[in-house]
Amino acid sequence: MALFMTLSCGRNEPGPSLLILTEAPGELGSPDYLSGESWRYISGARISKIVPGKPGSPKVLTGDFHSAAFPHISYDGRSMLFSAIENEGEPWQIWEMNLKNGKYRKVISSNDDCTDPSYLPAGRIIFSKRTVNDTVVNAHCVYMCKFDGSSLRQITFSPASYFANCVLKDGRVLSVSTDVLPEKGRTMMMVMRPDGTKGDMMYRIPKGSNVVSRACETKDGKIVFAESANVSSGKKDIISISYNRPLYTRINLTSDLEGDFIFALPLETEKLLVSHRASPKDRYGLFEFDPAHKSLGQPVYSDPDYNIVEVIPAEEYQRPKNLPSEVDPEVKTGLIMCQDINIHGFQSSLDSSTGPKASRIEVLGVDSTFGVLDVEEDGSFYLKVLADKPFRIRNLDDKGQVVDESSSWLWLRPNERRGCVGCHEDPELVPENRIPMAVKKSPVIVPVHITRIDEKSVELE
Amino acid sequence: MRKVLNWNNMKKIYKKLLISAGIIAVFILIVLSPFHGWARGHVNYITATEDHPLNCFSCHLYNQKTGFIPKLINADYYSPYNLAISGKGDELYIVAEESGELLVADTRKGKVTRKIKVGDKPHSVTCDKNGDFAFVSNQWSDFVSVIDLEKYSVVREIKTGNGPAGLALSPDEKYLYVVNSYSNDVSLINLENGKEWKRFSAGNNPSGIGMNPAKTSLFVTSRRALLAPYGDPVECELTEIEEAGKRIAGRMDIKSVYMLENIEFTPAGDLALIPMIRPKNLIPSIQVEGGFIMTNGITIIEQKENGRTIQLLLDEPNSYYADPFDIAITPDGKRAFVSHAGVDQISAIDLDSLRSFINSHTTEELEYYSNHLGTSCHFVIRRIPTGANPKGMAVSPDGSKLYVAEHLEDRIGVINTGSLETEGSIDLGGPRRITVARKGRRLLNNSKGTFQNQYTCFTCHPEGHEDGLVYNMASKDMGRNLANTQSLRDISETAPYKWNGKNHTIYKQDGLRFSTVLTRNEPFSYEELDALVAYIVTGIPYPPNLVYNRTGELNAMQLRGKALYERTIDKMGNEIPEKQRCITCHPPPYFTNRKFEDVGSLIASDDSMLFDTPHLNNIYASPPYLHHGLALSLEEIWTVYAHKDTHGRVNDLTKIELNELMEYLKSLGDPEFYRDEEKILRAKANPR
Repeated sequence: MALFMTLSCGRNEPGPSLLILTEAPGELGSPDYLSGESWRYISGARISKIVPGKPGSPKVLTGDFHSAAFPHISYDGRSMLFSAIENEGEPWQIWEMNLKNGKYRKVISSNDDCTDPSYLPAGRIIFSKRTVNDTVVNAHCVYMCKFDGSSLRQITFSPASYFANCVLKDGRVLSVSTDVLPEKGRTMMMVMRPDGTKGDMMYRIPKGSNVVSRACETKDGKIVFAESANVSSGKKDIISISYNRPLYTRINLTSDLEGDFIFALPLETEKLLVSHRASPKDRYGLFEFDPAHKSLGQPVYSDPDYNIVEVIPAEEYQRPKNLPSEVDPEVKTGLIMCQDINIHGFQSSLDSSTGPKASRIEVLGVDSTFGVLDVEEDGSFYLKVLADKPFRIRNLDDKGQVVDESSSWLWLRPNERRGCVGCHEDPELVPENRIPMAVKKSPVIVPVHITRIDEKSVELE
Repeated sequence: MRKVLNWNNMKKIYKKLLISAGIIAVFILIVLSPFHGWARGHVNYITATEDHPLNCFSCHLYNQKTGFIPKLINADYYSPYNLAISGKGDELYIVAEESGELLVADTRKGKVTRKIKVGDKPHSVTCDKNGDFAFVSNQWSDFVSVIDLEKYSVVREIKTGNGPAGLALSPDEKYLYVVNSYSNDVSLINLENGKEWKRFSAGNNPSGIGMNPAKTSLFVTSRRALLAPYGDPVECELTEIEEAGKRIAGRMDIKSVYMLENIEFTPAGDLALIPMIRPKNLIPSIQVEGGFIMTNGITIIEQKENGRTIQLLLDEPNSYYADPFDIAITPDGKRAFVSHAGVDQISAIDLDSLRSFINSHTTEELEYYSNHLGTSCHFVIRRIPTGANPKGMAVSPDGSKLYVAEHLEDRIGVINTGSLETEGSIDLGGPRRITVARKGRRLLNNSKGTFQNQYTCFTCHPEGHEDGLVYNMASKDMGRNLANTQSLRDISETAPYKWNGKNHTIYKQDGLRFSTVLTRNEPFSYEELDALVAYIVTGIPYPPNLVYNRTGELNAMQLRGKALYERTIDKMGNEIPEKQRCITCHPPPYFTNRKFEDVGSLIASDDSMLFDTPHLNNIYASPPYLHHGLALSLEEIWTVYAHKDTHGRVNDLTKIELNELMEYLKSLGDPEFYRDEEKILRAKANPR
């Protein structure tokens, strides 16, 4: 039997008037964070709506679907994107529903599974789609398209699966990324512009852990999400990081509480609405949670047959920034500059005598090398790289010995221009104000066997 | 007195009625087709978009600079810039930069009690110990107003150098140090006779001045970096004056910074703190992420033998605090406050934590941290929101309150230094309505248009001018096509814009291109863009050229230079081809023909292109010169970068004659002075 309570426990604090739930039946399977099975794709899942404080059964919105999950509400609060399959055995697709009349339409028709849609400003959406090809191998990439599904563009190109997408207020896309290569399972939170440019690590997940939910931003500049202490069966907690300094502000809000937490939704009251279960034999239900006192409050909603795996308010909210794009699909390459490959951490910057100096880099593709090239005397390099091709860079000394293991996967979008301070550098380090010697010359084309690329010349200014 | 309704008055009334009727008629025509189509095309051309609202008022009303309409739609604000507090803490002395007044506010009643007219664009105020006199520097009038605080009236005006800004009294209060921001020096005024006794040369565009608690030294900060070729390190001078001997004690070139606006010492005298910006102009401007354009923080100078100069950022990895301006420290030395004019916030710093941080790290480690976005969490204890554009600050004598000049809010914010909460404000009584141009000014001074608030338009265009730096905008390839920042002063009639002249209107200049290349953030809304353009067009005048052309009468040397500028025959008696005459490409009133030229200034890193002919008003205040900024003086334009007569005929001139030409160029001021010359030139060109 379902339980309803008003949010905020009658203290005259505002709360959402309508909540949209993703409900998963029975036991939750063991999630696969690479394929999304039993995590982003939950057989039999459904989307329902409830009015907090109003008794009665939740209204199922996706009764016509075999499975449906992970809705995202439009900025005007009137529509909902979600992923669903109409009939068992079909691929998951992206749909949009009018919340007023319940009518829905298919946004994406694909032979591949799609999940985790989010609205973007200016009539566009993003979502994750299973992609199989030579560059990403077999992974979920992020795609962008217009509301009608047209102008579909892939925006991530590394061999890694991207799930649980959300759009930050600053206009960037935040995803949970798990590498397919070179070894499976390395997970981090990646942030990028909606055109796929300037992809970078936002949050480093503790070794062995996994982010298990979409992230949400709070009013006071925090980002909250659920994290599992162990990839398969560890305790699941609510984690808070600061948007301003995400790498070093991790706080486990629920470590002292019994049970698991798999989702957190910030409320206007600065409290959270969390999906929680006291023990593995229970179902996940909705509870209020006070992050200031790290205390679990009243139960808001629960259902003995379903786990509440995600909740989102159906109301108008502030649109994220509509970021401009430098991407030009007619250009075949992107440019990347690194100021000094020998900046790769705190100690290396302080002590020039520590360890061997790198003087070359090797650019590695997915299954072959793109070439070895010398860097400038000041450690800088300037490359023109084929767009939308994943690559990693590793540092070599004069003798070709590896000084630093390869970096994370990078890719450049067509016409993207991008800069790095160093290799494996402290991510909070900004560049020193000096001209990198490498940019005084033309960029080196990568892969190095290509000597000339005929392409459109773009002048951004 | 009874107003006489004579023919002249009637004419004025008819004129206004006709203008009003005209506006209404145009409005009706626009609504009606086919005029609508023409209007659409016209607006599309101006805005370089296809969907900007057809609002005639945006350009034809809000962009008017003179006449009846601007008086009607604009408003006169106070715009508090700096402030001082009386020894008892009962009165605030507020410099109202826009109205040219010193406002006296009663801190207990929380309201303005007196308004004292001073000079044009007052900058700073300081008071003597007894509270008998206040001294106000008037940046656009070149004098200091001395105000008797018993009578609340100006009792003396003391002539200074050009652009008086920061002020400091000597310990015996017999002398006043005045920082001359435009003439790059410091006047030492003998207050007994009101005469300048000495003048010390200072850094580039000096601004603030502060005396150490021991009263032995004064330090003068600079806004602009020292002139240097592109590629050389950016350095800003901090000038030290020995108080006892009243002489220069030293010059510190502080690395990698500019916009050192103000300085404050801890009461213990162990540290001097200076708000700063660390620009990244030598790095291709390819992204904002990761502090690739600007970072903001404080320079700390240890006041001891072999004391270190330390720079720490107040920014955070995903959040920047643009345009740090002033710094104030509580009397107990526990807390410092830095106003960030670009983000409407104040950083509250715990000074013991700051000391602990710098004492626990080596010089090399601190050098590393000068580029680190993760340090501010060690000593910044709160970010306090303020009204628009917080500038100068003052702490009450008991240390309990911080007063903040909310420059574009016409308000003084009052912050409790214990709770770090805003506990009130003092309304200066300015207009309640925010005009379109005022909204534009706020936008230009605010970093919300830039990704993660990293910088504002003001950062590169301080006071609507330019920052003296050259940037690599990397519009095509990195490392190519350097761009010397150009001034925004009175540019409405100098289109096209940018060195390559690709933007035919300010709308295009500040529209989508601007957000894609520069701010890398959501473009300004059309309403915001209208306001920004209105402010740029109407609100950024030239300061008077008081150094080289105080009266409008040229001296003999300038007159000889003018003759050379306008000559048509060279010294060999040959006619100078029209394209090689200065006046051809640089005619008054803006001294630009607004056409494209090749003056032989292309360098190896430039793509082949023609350049928009720049305007020359107040050119003396805009070094470095040429599109690449490699000419560090006007003279170098010809002696280094056009020695083959590619930039006008000059090779026949002697050194003295070239100097005369320079002197004339330096005399050029506000375009309004040259309207008559423009008419004469036009008449010559078209005798009919």
